[in-house]
Formats: sequence, structure tokens, C-alpha cells
Amino acid sequence: MNYVQLEKLGEGTYATVYKGRSRTNNEIVALKEIHLDAEEGTPSTAIREISLMKELKHVNIVRLHDVIHTETKLVLIFEFCEQDLKKYMDQHGERGALDPNTVRSFMYQLLKGTAFCHENQVLHRDLKPQNLLINRKGELKLGDFGLARAFGVPVNTFSNEVVTLWYRAPDVLLGSRTYSTSIDVWSCGCIFAEMISGLPLFRGRDNHDQLLHIMRIIGTPSQQTFDKMSKDSPEIQVKQYPRYPKQDFRAVVPKASPHAIDLLERLLKFDPAERISAAEALSHPYFTSANTTNTFAVGSMAPPSFTFPHPHGLPPPQQQQQQQAYSRQPNYMANPVAVHQMHAAAQQQQQAQAAAMGGYGGVPMHYNAPFGHNPR
Amino acid sequence: MSPTFYPLASLSQIEKTPSRADGIPDDLEEDLRANGCKLIHEAGILLKQKQVAVATAQILFQRFWYVSSMKTFGIGDVGMGALYLASKLEECPLRIRDLINVYDLLSQRAAHSIGPKSSAEFKYAPMSYFGNTFYDIKDAIVVHEMQLLKRLGFNVQVVLPYGTLINYLRLLGLMSREDASTRAWGYLNDALQTPVYALYQIPTIVCAAIYLTTRHLQIILPSEPPHCWWELFDADWEDLWSVCGYIMRLYQERSEHERLRVVGMISKKGVRSWLEEHPSEL
Repeated sequence: MNYVQLEKLGEGTYATVYKGRSRTNNEIVALKEIHLDAEEGTPSTAIREISLMKELKHVNIVRLHDVIHTETKLVLIFEFCEQDLKKYMDQHGERGALDPNTVRSFMYQLLKGTAFCHENQVLHRDLKPQNLLINRKGELKLGDFGLARAFGVPVNTFSNEVVTLWYRAPDVLLGSRTYSTSIDVWSCGCIFAEMISGLPLFRGRDNHDQLLHIMRIIGTPSQQTFDKMSKDSPEIQVKQYPRYPKQDFRAVVPKASPHAIDLLERLLKFDPAERISAAEALSHPYFTSANTTNTFAVGSMAPPSFTFPHPHGLPPPQQQQQQQAYSRQPNYMANPVAVHQMHAAAQQQQQAQAAAMGGYGGVPMHYNAPFGHNPR
Repeated sequence: MSPTFYPLASLSQIEKTPSRADGIPDDLEEDLRANGCKLIHEAGILLKQKQVAVATAQILFQRFWYVSSMKTFGIGDVGMGALYLASKLEECPLRIRDLINVYDLLSQRAAHSIGPKSSAEFKYAPMSYFGNTFYDIKDAIVVHEMQLLKRLGFNVQVVLPYGTLINYLRLLGLMSREDASTRAWGYLNDALQTPVYALYQIPTIVCAAIYLTTRHLQIILPSEPPHCWWELFDADWEDLWSVCGYIMRLYQERSEHERLRVVGMISKKGVRSWLEEHPSEL
């Protein structure tokens, strides 16, 4: 192996993570060892993590450098980050609460990474402080894509068993299998509140209790909202719930600024269709009207916008303009012109990709060569 | 929103597939590919697996033969590995025990159909309790799942054509013609037995299915340059015609000899002994 294994960093249900050092350039990395089980074959978490992460190259997403495959195990070599957001909050926060500048910086990076996943048709599905890694430079990176999945033309329903309970969106709690990017946006909202206050926002014991915790704060939705949600995803099961009034977020998260409250409201909408998108959230006044006279502490400044070209050879997404801030995505199904344009663009790119990447098995999985590929 | 990314075979992979390099002729490779996909399909039905997982498995199976030879890997083993893998990808995992039983049944049935008593009724003989069959098949499935991942470089993203078909039929005003949608849907499913999903973009394949349908049902759409309906979906005529060719070749009558030859080559052993008997093909 081209890496020296150093101390153990942690142990999960299906993998053990070690610190490692590259023999070639002394770079410090994280080695995630996955034992191959003869009973079930390759774990689906590993399949997802590798197939999705090798395409996602962004400053706010933990980089997968390489994959080493032996008879008994798979070793994933990741960029190394010092700690996760949970530990960071315990160490640097005041009873877990972070200062406003750090919150803004982390929140910006979290949304930036999430928006990049969504642009690339990947749902993370397990955003929580433990899965957000922080490095020494104060960069926040999305990690652990073991539950992630690609989404495209919806032909299939998805698993309902996703996202750690406390960060799980209400539509998923109700049984939705046709959720989309809004599921990650909800988790971002929960993390946002947690960074400001130092405590997880909704701490339910089980599925039902979690829903009640949510309703006690954002209010029980009206019957119309439930009806609309059932129409959007017919598989959800609506029961009878106590009628809780909506609470003022200023009382729930007293430390939050008015802009922060407004963003939080937009992230934590009960109806997934009303939730703001990650890309839209980035141009929210909470970020754009930041008080720039503050002296920036380490890690409090938003990172430069990403420098990596889209792995699929797409031009960088157009920056959302202020005036467009909360506009919706065009509905392709209902708009023939949009369909046509989408395909024209798709065709061109994919031909370019096909030409550049040289078919199957061409670039990745050269075991010790740099993993992943960039057609450019 | 950007389109989902899925890989296609490169020109050099298409010009000379690994099986071709090992001396397996084009037409035999095409028939073996189709037979492997039929096995996946049959197993899918017996296991009551969702069509999305079955279709995904067939596409992964087709891709695999652009990086590996049928002399090195058996179509049966790769097919079952692909079905097992695709079921994980589509979040409807199979119990490996069920897949093993179905695979054993399908192999026995194939062996029976070309055996000396092929005219007699087929009876499935369950695996012996203390035998190795179960463990052998299990190892084969797990190993071939890994081979698929490894040789495809974990590029297991698959895009299925059904949503696109509905969209196009709507745009062409064919939604009211139920016979047209059913037939086009059927062509798309049959196309899963051909390599086209590893060779062409989804819009091209969908256009080919609609083209065959409208020709068969004599539905007239603008088809004279410069007003060709498929150009609306950025399909190229040459490609569309080539996809039609792949699909139509499936329906060609095969001789009894050709049919039996393919059934005998579900395992790589069958392919190897055929190669030994036909060294001139190299």
C-alpha cells in the first residue's frame, strides 16, 4: 500500500477509519477500511460512497483521492480533516453555540456543498453535525456519502429509512418515498439552529415523537397543507395530530439575528415544496448583507467560490442574481421548450464526456493512480 | 438542473470488444449478450423484482462486455452479479439465498433443454443439503458483483428511458394512442437485450423506439428534411437507424443450431470449448 497507517480515528458500523500518510508525498489522509463480507457482497453504502463521491469535486465536499481494493477489504482514501462539526462545537463553542461569524461561514459552506451535490443530481440524505468535517483552515466539508443517492428522471421510489432522526424532514417522517433535494435543505436548517443555540433543535425519541417536536415549534400544518402534501406524494400517511400554534423563532433561537431568523424560516418549511433550495439560500440577505466591518477570525470568512470545474464538464452554474433570488426551477415536464433545450445541452456535454473519458473502466480504478477523473 | 451523467463505451471499445479479440465472432457475442439479458429478465420475474432493478442490471451487464471477454467471465455469473448489484443500487435488495435458488433453477433448466432428455418434462432437483452448490453459487455472485464494480470503475450510474418516452410521446401528441405507447414501451424493454444502452444517448434510443412504432402503426410524423421530428430531440438519423437495426436483429429467426449453441454457453466453459472447436475464427 502506498500509505502508512497511523492511529485509529473512529469506528463505524461497517468501516474503521485510520489516519494515514502517503509514502509518495507525505500528505496526511484518512483511510476508511471497509471489510468485505462474503455473506452480502460489497456493502451498498460503499458502492454509493465510491460511485458518487469520485465525481463530486468541490472545496466543501470531502475529496475521495483513491480506492484500494484487496481480497478482503476496500480502502477508501479521503482528504484528511481534523474534526467534525459536533466536536468543533463542543470545543470551540460556548456551551456548544458558535459565534455569529463562524455560524455564517459554516452555514455558507454547508449550503455551498449541498447545492453542488444537488446540481450534480446527488442527494446526501444524511446531513448532521457528525458528518460535516472541519479542517484546520476552517473549511467545512460534507462527508459520509454512505446514504447518498443519485436522482434523475424519477422512475423509482426511494428508501424511507434515511437521515438520522433529529435531522429528518417531516415529509420523510410521514413516509414520503418521492422526496428530493428539499430533504437535505431541512437538515441544513436543523444544523443552522443547532450552531446558533448549541443544542439540537428537534430531539424526538422516535418517528412520531419527532414529528410532534417539529409541530410544537413550527406549528401543526393546516389541513390544506396536509392535503396538498398527500397529493404530491400519495404514499405519505397523515394521522391526527394535536393542533400546535406556530412559535416565534425569535423565542426558540434567541441568539439569531433577524436575517438568520428569516433564512431559518425558509429552510424549515413543513411542506417540502415550499422549502427554499440550497442555491437560493446562498443569495439570502443573511449572507449578502453581511456586516463586513467585522474583523474576520480564522474560519469566519466564506471560502473563495470553488475552483474545480464541474466533473462532468459543465460550465460553472450561473450565479443566482439578487432579483431572481427565490424563483422556482422551471418545470420541464410542463414546458416543451425547456425540454428541448435541456436535451440539446445534455447531448453536447455527454458526447464531449464520452469522447474525453474513453469509455468504461478507462480512467478510474487504476489502483494506485489518482482516483476519479476530470475530462478536461 | 444538469442531466444525470452516465458513461458510454468508447470508439475503440466498440470497434473491437474484448470477446471479439478472443475470437468470439460478432453475431455470437450479440446472441450471448441477448441470452444473458433474458436470464436476468427471467430471474427478475421469478424473484418478483422491480423492473427498474432488472433494467439497470441489464444495462450494467451490457457495459461489462466492453471491458471484459466472455472467455474470461461467464454470462450467467455476470448476469446474476449484475442483478444482485442493481438491486442494491435501486434500493430493493435481494436476499442472496433467493437469488442462488433462482440461478440454480435457471441453470438446470438450460442444461435440460440441450441435454439428451430435452423432450422429457423438466423437473427441478433441489440442491443437496450438504453439497457445495449453494456456496459455489454464492461465491460466484459475490465475486462477479465485485468484478462488475471494479471493471466498470464504480461507474454504475444508469439512466432508464421510460420517463423520456412519456415526455416525447406527449410532445408528439401521441398520448391518446395507447397502442403507440405500449408498443414503444415494449421496444425499449426489448432494447435492453441489445448493447444500445451502452452505446447511445437515451434520447436517441427513445426516438428509435418511437420511430419503429410509428412505422409499424403507420402513424405519419414530419420526416422529410429539414423537418424531421427526431431532430427536435437531437437524435441523429444515422444513430437512430443503427439502434433500430440492433432492435430488429433480435426478432430475426434463429436456426435450431444457433439457439442451442447459445444455451450451451451460459458458463465460460461452454464458450471455451466452442473456441477450441473453432480456432479458425481467430
